[in-house]
Amino acid sequence: MDVKFSDSVKELIGERGLKIDDVIDIINTAESSNRKLNDGSKNLAKKRIGEVTIYAVYDDNGNVETAYSHRMVLGEIQKTTDEPDPTNWVCVSCNEKAVIGTVLMTYMGVTRSGPAVVCEKCGDAWIEEYLATKTIAAAEGLFEKKKA
Amino acid sequence: MGYEELFPPYDMEWHAHSTRRFANPFVDNKYDRVDVDPVMLSHAAVACGYTIRDFYEKPELGIHCLAHIYQLYDLLPVTHWFYASPWLADLGCKMVYKDTLPPIPESEILHEPGDVDALHVPSPEELYDGWTYSQYKRLYAYVQKNIPQTFVPISYGFDPVGEAAALCGVENFIMWTFVEQDAAHKLLEKFTQTAINGALCTAKDFGSAMLVVASVLANNDIFSDEAIREYSVKYMREYIDKSFRGGAGPQIFYHCCGNHETSYKEFQNLIWSPFTVLHIGYKGPEAFPSDLLVQEYGNKATCMGSVDTKLLINPNPKVVYDASAKQIIAGRDAPRGYILGTACECPPYSLPGNILAMTRAAKDYGTYGKW
Repeated sequence: MDVKFSDSVKELIGERGLKIDDVIDIINTAESSNRKLNDGSKNLAKKRIGEVTIYAVYDDNGNVETAYSHRMVLGEIQKTTDEPDPTNWVCVSCNEKAVIGTVLMTYMGVTRSGPAVVCEKCGDAWIEEYLATKTIAAAEGLFEKKKA
Repeated sequence: MGYEELFPPYDMEWHAHSTRRFANPFVDNKYDRVDVDPVMLSHAAVACGYTIRDFYEKPELGIHCLAHIYQLYDLLPVTHWFYASPWLADLGCKMVYKDTLPPIPESEILHEPGDVDALHVPSPEELYDGWTYSQYKRLYAYVQKNIPQTFVPISYGFDPVGEAAALCGVENFIMWTFVEQDAAHKLLEKFTQTAINGALCTAKDFGSAMLVVASVLANNDIFSDEAIREYSVKYMREYIDKSFRGGAGPQIFYHCCGNHETSYKEFQNLIWSPFTVLHIGYKGPEAFPSDLLVQEYGNKATCMGSVDTKLLINPNPKVVYDASAKQIIAGRDAPRGYILGTACECPPYSLPGNILAMTRAAKDYGTYGKW
């Protein structure tokens, strides 16, 4: 896939301390493995690179809309709600509707629970941008402060 | 003279110790002992010689009393201030101050199910300078200036069912849940969205916001498990989800006081964050057993156990000590930490000897490495 970035997206990626090459790698890996979410118009792909999980949101023509990251390591899905909230995302690998679920999250040796978009069939989990850049980022900051 | 001049200097040595202890349940530390949080509000003002009304009418005084009294009882290093009816004034209620109660609405403002349609949900911009959030702006500015080490930005959705009922009358609301269900849901939706907009104000100002949301009126003394799921848990969930989307969180305090004899299982349907505390008040007439709390929720949240609040006004600290010890022993091995609380707010005229009995039990039975 020919991955393309607007100037504003390049700037955003830089501000978030991410590398363009990593984002390209994530998209190419997702396209070759089909391990991604799709909502009919855009894709959400992710890859753990070093100490961070990096996400890319892009359309079928390779235009990158945004990229972001978190440091927590996502683990198993936890069974919580009996009636999970649906999302617009479909797990492409499983052709299964993804839902809002709960997953284990580990950071600095501490494992807790947190919300994520999950595929209940394959057990994979993704964090959406609003959570990664705000709530989860704040949680990582709190872990660092409380562990200090 | 500012309220800060009424208090001696805050004990920073105690604060450092308490802060390290307070981190225990959230990051798997084992420092000192299990924490005690008797859900203190106006008791702090009473203990400093002021009144219940002072606590609510003068938030800066109230929160400074809390910071001061927490040191006396060796409690938490963080402060909070609130009353049980946030956002109602912004929705049109006239709030009145009482000598022995938090501020309450003078009367209900919705009388018929059709009135709900006309209820205006204030936008975040409207709320920002409204009755409720203006108090928090003033209060948080005071805390940041005078006792900044205790500051946590908190936003209160509190009890969506209770607030909805306050807007239309408790009897009306309960009846609507049977015969006017659309109106009941619409009212809950409107209150919840207002509370979410309030949380967004806090998140905008401070970059995060601990979220406090409750299921109090929605308990098994009044509602079935199914009704609690439909009318309470659903909106608690919506409050957290939409507040997170606006940058609030990551801390959540779920306060489920009242009798949750069988409805405690419904809280499985809530949203969990890495910093969640779940507190359940009663199972039938008894304080909710900590072993059951840990069994059901210990792998999802920090568990906050309960000592029956009624015990705190009886002149018998040994009974409080024994009840505290029993709960601590049952809860202290919770995988994500345990806090000893009271089933609901400790009464304003709680006897100091009884609160001291709780911390003494925490030392005797909750000191890490001693069991």
